[in-house]
Amino acid sequence: MKHFLLLILLISATEVLSQDAEAILQKVDRNLSSENRIFESAMLIHGRRNDRTVTSRTYSVGNKKSFTEYLTPPREQGTKMLKLESQLWIYSPSTDRIIQISGHMLRQSVMGSDLSYVDMMDDRKLTDVYSAIYAGDEIFDDRKVHVLELTAKVTDAAYYKRKMWIDRERFVPLKEELYAKSGQLLKRTTLSEVKQIGGRWFPTKIVFKDMLKEGEGTEFRMSNIKFNQKIPDYIFSKAALKK
Amino acid sequence: MIAFKLAYRNLIGAGLRTWLNVTVLSFAYVVIIFHQGLIDGWHRQGLLDLKAWEVGGGHLWHPAYNRYDPITFQDSHRNIDDKLIKKFNEGQIAPVLVVQASAYPDGRLISVILKGIAPRQEIVSIPTRYLADNNAVNAVIGTRMAKLMKVKEGDNILIRWRDKNGVFDATEVHIIKIFKCDVPSVDNGQIWLSLENLQKMTGLVNEATYFILSESYNEGKTDEWKFIPPSYLTRELDEIIRSKRGGGMIMQGILLIIALLAIFDTQVLSIFRRQREIGTYIALGMTRPQVIGIFTVEGAAHSVFAALAGAVYGIPLFIYLAKYGISFGFGDMGLTLADTLYPYYSLELIFWTVLIVVLAATIVSYLPARRIAKMKPTEALKGKLQ
Amino acid sequence: MIGFTLKGIVRDRSRSLLPVIIVSIGAMLTVAGTGWIKGIFGDIIAMNAKYSTGHVKILTAAYAENESQAPNDLALTDISSLLSSLKKDFTGVEWVPRIHFGGLIDIPDSSGVTKYQGNVVGRGVDLFSAGSRENERMNIAPSIVEGKLPENGKEILISHDFAKRFNLKPGDKVTFFGSSMNGGMVFSELTLCGTIKFGSQILDRGGIICDVSDAQQMLDMEDASSEILGYFKDDIYSEERADSLRSTFNSVYFDPGDEFSPKMLKLSEQNDLDEYLAYADRMGTIIALIFIFTLSVVLWNTGLLGGLRRYNEYGIRLALGEEKKHIYFMMLYEALIVGIIGSVVGSAAGLSFSYWLQETGLDFGDSFGNITMMMPQVFRARVVPEMFYIGFIPGVVAMLIGTAIAGIGIFKRDTARLFTELEV
Repeated sequence: MKHFLLLILLISATEVLSQDAEAILQKVDRNLSSENRIFESAMLIHGRRNDRTVTSRTYSVGNKKSFTEYLTPPREQGTKMLKLESQLWIYSPSTDRIIQISGHMLRQSVMGSDLSYVDMMDDRKLTDVYSAIYAGDEIFDDRKVHVLELTAKVTDAAYYKRKMWIDRERFVPLKEELYAKSGQLLKRTTLSEVKQIGGRWFPTKIVFKDMLKEGEGTEFRMSNIKFNQKIPDYIFSKAALKK
Repeated sequence: MIAFKLAYRNLIGAGLRTWLNVTVLSFAYVVIIFHQGLIDGWHRQGLLDLKAWEVGGGHLWHPAYNRYDPITFQDSHRNIDDKLIKKFNEGQIAPVLVVQASAYPDGRLISVILKGIAPRQEIVSIPTRYLADNNAVNAVIGTRMAKLMKVKEGDNILIRWRDKNGVFDATEVHIIKIFKCDVPSVDNGQIWLSLENLQKMTGLVNEATYFILSESYNEGKTDEWKFIPPSYLTRELDEIIRSKRGGGMIMQGILLIIALLAIFDTQVLSIFRRQREIGTYIALGMTRPQVIGIFTVEGAAHSVFAALAGAVYGIPLFIYLAKYGISFGFGDMGLTLADTLYPYYSLELIFWTVLIVVLAATIVSYLPARRIAKMKPTEALKGKLQ
Repeated sequence: MIGFTLKGIVRDRSRSLLPVIIVSIGAMLTVAGTGWIKGIFGDIIAMNAKYSTGHVKILTAAYAENESQAPNDLALTDISSLLSSLKKDFTGVEWVPRIHFGGLIDIPDSSGVTKYQGNVVGRGVDLFSAGSRENERMNIAPSIVEGKLPENGKEILISHDFAKRFNLKPGDKVTFFGSSMNGGMVFSELTLCGTIKFGSQILDRGGIICDVSDAQQMLDMEDASSEILGYFKDDIYSEERADSLRSTFNSVYFDPGDEFSPKMLKLSEQNDLDEYLAYADRMGTIIALIFIFTLSVVLWNTGLLGGLRRYNEYGIRLALGEEKKHIYFMMLYEALIVGIIGSVVGSAAGLSFSYWLQETGLDFGDSFGNITMMMPQVFRARVVPEMFYIGFIPGVVAMLIGTAIAGIGIFKRDTARLFTELEV
């Protein structure tokens, strides 16, 4: 009888914790996603021979539409990328052409980084794609964190499983690991330099590392982040690419 | 008939020089047959290799499939219907599923093609029986692929692919067998897994990209699958062979001309030397064409003796070469080409070679013999130079 | 004495004409046959050299490691200074940069938005520099089906099958999309100047050829190339030369500690060609020996014939009291002269024929009806040093032996019966 009670207690405890996990995830989503945002970013790509930095300005609405214009280096300047739903177009000023990226091209790395176009395309809210389980508390990078294990509840999530280390106070992920269905670790992301912007906490530095490939990974820094701005709709049209 | 008897006796009587001529001409036979046989052997062997490793009795392709265009792989697979399952159970077809993936040997990224094939198929020689255990992800690869990835049997290699919904998946595959074959197109850039494993890995249950047909398959095309005849799959080899044959012909031609030059020369010499004999024939009542005939037959008979002489050393040589082959050490040149080639001599080849050489020898024997027609028998009898 | 014999040979056409003709033909055939054999046995080597290995090839060690993936981020840099010092230090070798790349050809609709896309494999080849022999070397121009060679920047040749599939015609504009040397995105608007048949299924599926300067521009590879190939100016691969070239180069330029320093490989180190090379050499020698033997027999006959024709003459000379030995040596002397003249004439003819076959080649294209770049239907001979003396072996030696054997008859002649024989 005593054992039985203990069991009930345990079950309800995990029940509570998994509800907590969902709640934590919702809080994360609230921090990370917004109606729209504008930001500038600098991507530091470590090559085998040399490093290079690509800067860009991005406008995005929800998770469905985004528009990126590359600012430097000169060779990339004026290149624009438009994502609408699951489609991606790139405009190149040198040829004045709009090229659609599709099929297996989407799997290629963007600008030689550890990110593929697909990585940039998966844009659903975490809570829409994954169900979360609470997996304990830890200290990461001197911050107290909850550890969540996410498993895809839809069939077409690029990564079947994720593990997230979420700051207990700010509800911002500080580290994330992406796993294949088989359990193989594919990518690791480290997020840092969390700043308060427009009433929310936001990580401004993200390091992506493809765990299967040798190399130092790709560093992504955001600046001038503005949330919930007025962004005219024409920005997200193919016509705007040519402007 | 008398011409033949005389020719025989004269030739044997001439001794050493006849034999030298015969030897020379026999080289022409042997080299021509050897060289053509080598090319035929390569072609035959190449076709056999292609058949054995890749082509079978042709393929059935998903209409969207193109083997040289990985973009097409994503959309070129479909369900294997009951009729095809029955054919598979009868051993008539072997289903193959093709998926694009990445392999990461030592942290290097290499684009690879995963091919799932039924382990119990017996249509192609790929050692698929090693893949029978579906509890482990085992793979067989060719030597070229092993070299590219720098792996050996027993090694594990990390591969990453996406399932039918685009979900990333990755696992280590165990290289259970490395096979050596002369067909680069089943080796380069490819990792062979069991069909069931690859179907499970990708979620493409009971689907295939193409079928390899057995030689006895005679169903023809179906509406869902495009029939690819063996000739389409072997045409690259056919082209190479055709170009090699052209190059060989010139060399054989030059050799034949030299050999014929020897006969021509001998004819000139013997007609010159044997004027008394010619005079005697005519005095005895032979017509000039008859005498010309004797000499022509005599010259042409060289080619017959040469065929026999060539056979004496050629046949054992050919048999030896056909049995043990010639090791060329071609290395890897991207061609369907074995390290060791086994020449193949068809009756057709031998027949045509003999016919051409005998005809050519007859013509060059006839040309100098025409001079006989202009000879005055009285002068000839005296042996005077004319 | 030489003058006397020469006069005899020149003035007496029966003594000179036929033997010289036959020796010439024989020597010519030996020389030409050898050249031809060297040519056709060498063609697999030549093909590899032309399209992939060069006689020597320079690349970075890092690039060599993953060569099949065409990793242009590991390509050679500062090639103009490298090329100019190569030209200075290693004369007698032609140095050409080449770029291998992959990407996407995007074909726009009328509003400039993607209509079709196809993957391509590209080759940047030096077509524009004055004196570049790349076009000829790679057999590009003859393989063009429609249109012409690139003449201006941003012009490309594309595989004929690809053009057919997407309904492209010379003059059409397409966009190349790919990755720069640094991994950046690159776009380039290109004009299709012609379509070409490669003769390799992968390239025919989607291959493009452009000038190397365009490839550099397109891929952001300024002053860089995937590789630099070296070709001996006489177009003949020599293992010794390649070997010494490689060790000299690597001792100066290659730094084992720097994976991006240039490293030289010789042809035989690549694609496992060394064994084939040795084989081709052996086979060529065997066939050349058969040629020599065969011709020796032919010329022996000629020698005999010459001796017999002049049976009467020798009889008279004997009757006049000339010594048998003297006649015999005179015969040999004449044979030597005839042999040398014939061999010189024949070798010259054979060499020039071979040289012509080497430079122009024998074109089987029309009879086969299918010209492609990788499977040229032009067969070429190859002029090698031994061809300068090989014709003399049958020409002179066999002629001498033939005459020597025929001449033995002289010693058997009985002076007493001479007059009966001569029917004087």
